[in-house]
Amino acid sequence: MIEVRSLTKKYGERLAVDDVSFAVQRGEILGFLGQNGAGKTTTMKILTCFMPASSGTATVAGFDVFEKPLEVKKRIGYLPEIPPVYPELLVSEYLSFVAELKRIPRSERPRKIDRVLERCNLGSVRKRLIGNLSKGYRQRVGLAQALIHDPEVLILDEPTIGLDPKQVTEIRSLIKSMRSERTVIYSTHILSEVAATCDRIVIIDQGRIVAQEAISALSSAGGTTKTEIVVQRMSDQVLRALRDIKGVSNVQPFSNGAHRIVVESEAREDLMAEMSQVVVNQKAGLIRMSPVQLALEEYYLNLIGGRRDMQ
Amino acid sequence: MNGAVAIVKKELRSYFYSPVAYVIMGVFLFVMGVIFAKFVAIYEAYNRARAFGQAQGITLDKLALYMYQNMAFILCFVTPFLTMKLFAEERRQQTFELLLTAPLRGVELVLGKFISAYILMVLMVGLSFIYVVFMILWGNPEMGIIFSTYIGLLLALACYISLGALISAMTSSQAIAAVWTFIVLLLLWLLQSLGQGVTTKWGFIDWGPTLVYISPLGHFNSFAEGLIHIKDVIYFLTFTIFMLFLTHRVVESNRWR
Repeated sequence: MIEVRSLTKKYGERLAVDDVSFAVQRGEILGFLGQNGAGKTTTMKILTCFMPASSGTATVAGFDVFEKPLEVKKRIGYLPEIPPVYPELLVSEYLSFVAELKRIPRSERPRKIDRVLERCNLGSVRKRLIGNLSKGYRQRVGLAQALIHDPEVLILDEPTIGLDPKQVTEIRSLIKSMRSERTVIYSTHILSEVAATCDRIVIIDQGRIVAQEAISALSSAGGTTKTEIVVQRMSDQVLRALRDIKGVSNVQPFSNGAHRIVVESEAREDLMAEMSQVVVNQKAGLIRMSPVQLALEEYYLNLIGGRRDMQ
Repeated sequence: MNGAVAIVKKELRSYFYSPVAYVIMGVFLFVMGVIFAKFVAIYEAYNRARAFGQAQGITLDKLALYMYQNMAFILCFVTPFLTMKLFAEERRQQTFELLLTAPLRGVELVLGKFISAYILMVLMVGLSFIYVVFMILWGNPEMGIIFSTYIGLLLALACYISLGALISAMTSSQAIAAVWTFIVLLLLWLLQSLGQGVTTKWGFIDWGPTLVYISPLGHFNSFAEGLIHIKDVIYFLTFTIFMLFLTHRVVESNRWR
């Protein structure tokens, strides 16, 4: 659906995007991950025909973004980092302007507007001035703008930035609901977000792609997981008993204030049950037990850190 | 051209939702009212003088020329306020990205912006028609001259607005757009006097006629004198089209810069 081949963008002397290549299949949700200023937004702006690349090619739905920008634009819904809304218009006026701009036939406009209002949960503010809306609502108006013409491809630049946790969840579930129906590219610098919504990630750092991986492959990276156990009484017997469980590779006690034990083991659910059984049997006073989900974060930091070290 | 229609509708909405359009129209009509009153006073004095057999050679045509010349000059002050936001505001509030990533041609965008400002200003200048009504009620104006003058105004407006649109497309600050539009319009206006000055001979060429030709003042004056010359019409049309062409280039430059 989207194919990017050795895309490069220079701002003067500075390389913003450096030889980036990736492809996104139809119906896939791609997480575009990187620190601020890594080149995510620039890549997206090139894909949406907002700015040209210095070299390299990109095609969306088979159309080249440089040769056939109009065809590409018809098929793309784009939400920039700052929602492109007019504060002086009502939500309904804004959406009917966008519908007209995106060449939705007049007879279909009311139906499409109603649908997108419902989908983005904007029904209650349709007669409000955009300038008076909160950041979260403005973001949703921006999303409605991107969705209104049923684009095949959706490009979202940090759609959850500046939202409160409830709104973040709403936007995420909205994006998830589009899985298999649309192709989505979604940029963020928040790791948990990628894990929660995307099928695949592309990690970009200083303009270069440092990794592309399916999420499923990442979360079981190396096939190990960490579990944190908090107990009332620490003893060698507990540690030994935990080490004796089959599948456990490492047991590390920490005793600064609370007694914590970090157990590294194979990623299997029945191991958790077994560990809790062991702790209870040893009468250590089990207080809390939780999986430490660091796989993605560690992976990411290792990648970025590794690159920094090399330089 | 559907895209242009969408832009025009949205722009006109924005104009009338903010107080700017009303304030500018009000100020324009107030200033024109003062000038019209002065025009009436001069005309009255002339009639009185004629009654005593001391006509000074002032004719109604000359007075109308005086009034409409003033109007064309005042429009130089008014235009920047109405064109400054056209593109600069889109850049500032980041809605330019919406327009440039929507299936909208650059031509449609530029024409839509131009036409919306043009409609607004034609409406504004149209309101000054009330003075013509007064002239008809209490005097006997020559309709031919008024007709040609308004044609001239419509053409001059197009050229002012196209210049304002170009400058607005080059900045993201409305204030800068307004100031520069005003400066350039004023300079164009003053070229007439400069061209008629004594020291226009630089090198072997006398630049005077060229400067006079570039200035819209002379071209407008012949309309206000009741003359519709093709060369003046062509001047205004080429000026407008050239400015809109440049605006289009500036807008499109985003895509290849």
